[in-house]
Amino acid sequence: MQPKHIVFMALAVGLATVAAFAAARAQDAPNGDAASGKRIYLADRCFTCHGRSGQGGAYNGPTPILAHTALPFDAFKGQIRNPINDMPAYSNAELSDKDLADIYAFVQSLPGPGSPKDFPILNN
Amino acid sequence: MPKGRTTNEASRRNFLKAAGLAGAAAAGAVTPPVAADAFPAAPQPRPKATLPGPRQIAAETMAPADDPVNQSSSGGDYMVDVLKSLGVEYMAINCASSYRGLHEAVINHGGNKPEIITCVHEDIAAHIAQGYAKMDGKPIAVACHGVVGLQHATMGIYNTWCDRVPALIFGGNILEADKRMPGAEWVHSGVDIGQLVREFTKWDDQPASLTHFGESLVRGYRIATTPPMGPVFIALDQELQENPIRDPERLRIPKYEPVIPPQGDAAALAEAAKMLVEAKNPLIICDRVARTPAGMANLVELAETLQCGVIDNYGRMNFPSRHPLNQSFRRALIGQADVILAIEMNDLWGTLTHFRDRIVRTSHPATKPGTKIISLGVHDLFQKSNYQDFGRWQDVDLDIAGDGETSLPVLTEAVRRLVDDGRKAAFAARGEKFAKAHLAMIEQSKIDATIGWDNSPITTARMCAEVYNQIKDEDWSVVGSSIRLSWMHKLWDFKKPHQWNGVSGGSGVGYNLPASIGAALANKKHGRFTLAFGGDGDFMFSPGALWTAAHHKIPILYIVHNNRAYHQEYMYLVAMAARHGRNIETMDIGTTIKDPNIDYATVARGLGAHGEGPITDPKDLAPALSRAITAVKAGGPAVVDVVADPR
Repeated sequence: MQPKHIVFMALAVGLATVAAFAAARAQDAPNGDAASGKRIYLADRCFTCHGRSGQGGAYNGPTPILAHTALPFDAFKGQIRNPINDMPAYSNAELSDKDLADIYAFVQSLPGPGSPKDFPILNN
Repeated sequence: MPKGRTTNEASRRNFLKAAGLAGAAAAGAVTPPVAADAFPAAPQPRPKATLPGPRQIAAETMAPADDPVNQSSSGGDYMVDVLKSLGVEYMAINCASSYRGLHEAVINHGGNKPEIITCVHEDIAAHIAQGYAKMDGKPIAVACHGVVGLQHATMGIYNTWCDRVPALIFGGNILEADKRMPGAEWVHSGVDIGQLVREFTKWDDQPASLTHFGESLVRGYRIATTPPMGPVFIALDQELQENPIRDPERLRIPKYEPVIPPQGDAAALAEAAKMLVEAKNPLIICDRVARTPAGMANLVELAETLQCGVIDNYGRMNFPSRHPLNQSFRRALIGQADVILAIEMNDLWGTLTHFRDRIVRTSHPATKPGTKIISLGVHDLFQKSNYQDFGRWQDVDLDIAGDGETSLPVLTEAVRRLVDDGRKAAFAARGEKFAKAHLAMIEQSKIDATIGWDNSPITTARMCAEVYNQIKDEDWSVVGSSIRLSWMHKLWDFKKPHQWNGVSGGSGVGYNLPASIGAALANKKHGRFTLAFGGDGDFMFSPGALWTAAHHKIPILYIVHNNRAYHQEYMYLVAMAARHGRNIETMDIGTTIKDPNIDYATVARGLGAHGEGPITDPKDLAPALSRAITAVKAGGPAVVDVVADPR
């Protein structure tokens, strides 16, 4: 199998996972400490690629929005432990499962996008 | 008959006589043994160093018999006349003795035409020329001080080269060693100073006479402005600039006639048209297409005739941002296309490939198997070897050498001839899908832009939205951007040829501030409102450019996207630490610009510009921008320091 097929399959599996488990993400996620997660998110420089508000950004290419993410915890953890694309992998020694749960709680606590109608200057 | 000549002729006769006798003797002699030939019995006299005689000492130490203290003309005057004949409007300089002759001639003979743009560093001068030429379409001159000033200018020249932009770079020099004053003139001179920039200029020369200079400058101008465009370098001998014109009756200004840009072969363009028309999902990708205001219109016409998507890499103002066929933020279309037309792409492979920056670097095509690729451009017409600004090899199916902008009308006409009514309907349906996808992209961008709207540091989406809200009704021209700032092209209505002019070319930091000021200089005569975003790291490479803008009253609104870091490098260092499983928290060492934080507004004020900031609360941004815009409209530069999120 060519590498791109592997990537496409991984993406397809990822998207299917998101669709299937989005509604149940809160139930599936371990209890995390959002305040601790915020500290780790900033200290371990997650914000450098994903923004302090979880609004996404750019590394070698666009980086995804994390604020109030629809990604289930398992997919979130999977991307951190064994990421696709150019994101660096973070082992358990760098970020424990507890740390990941805290970060997940933090990004879940971030306000997601609003309606552009409420932001007049976005409609110029 | 003069006595000396008799003596010389007698000497010559004696020399010939001696040579003839020697030859006759050699012809009749028996060949001597080799050993005897190798060790002649009597050593041959060797030339000896001789002490200078009294006449030579006098010539070098005493005033010459004819020692004028005034002159009525200079080579510099002629140089100015040639520059003016080419319509060169400005010469950006950091003043220096090695071109003092030209400098004085520009002011007093030329009436400060080309107008001197005073710069505090040659890198600023070169980048101003780059930004100016991209906006105006014509090159200006840059004068550098011998080998030292030229070395300062090299980064700007390199960016100009990579960006395919014309510029006339001069370097003062003193060729004749016995004319150099002791000290600086020696260490500032070179045998071949063009060698310093030869690998990233299209052409260079060291004229040895004024006639030679005239031809060199006109030739250099023509070479620089013929696609693929680029900078040229001409060394200016100091004696040539300063000394009186000896034979004015022999001097003339060579005639300049612009070269008709090379158009792609008509048969090849017809073949390209056939492939595009017959394709199910054709796609156009482009980078530096629009050289003139006609370029964007030409590309729009082709895209509309085909009703195909366009992906713009933003090397120039190629395609309107809100055109329904603009699919620049839908790169997945590359994987769906069956025919791709790539126009003026410098790194085609990079655009058509997914590359993974991992421990083991891998890549795979972004295109699907069997996709036909047509390349149209001038990139292969002129390349050099050392600097790798051409990207990795990309297989293509039809490679057409020709200027994109010039070739587009011919290609469009060939496409039009092949589009019958049945195809028109199918194309229209295709266009409808692109239009819907384009609107969806804009809507999604607006939704994404709301995240973190009121947070501090300010999000880049909020920063861009606040700026656009205040300049949208001006005849605006945005001429600079911080790295990977995409909100402008997602949300702003770019529709005029002067509303964007690309990026650095060589990705050499330090481009953005001075090149933006160069573009603002070009915009000034049109009364356009010039603005630019730029990173804080870039700003600090050459903040002195602001003084030039203040001094010459060049209006520009400059927004410092202040993330207090060399942020791309910061992210790379985090990735390196994560790869090793080592401490990430220390990766701000050497990558951030803090402790102390730089106060860019104060720096700006110190250089004569209006300064606002640092703005940390998004609520303070609109009033600060309003004050800065008022200052710009008063005719000068204004800086707004926005403490913003990284990307």
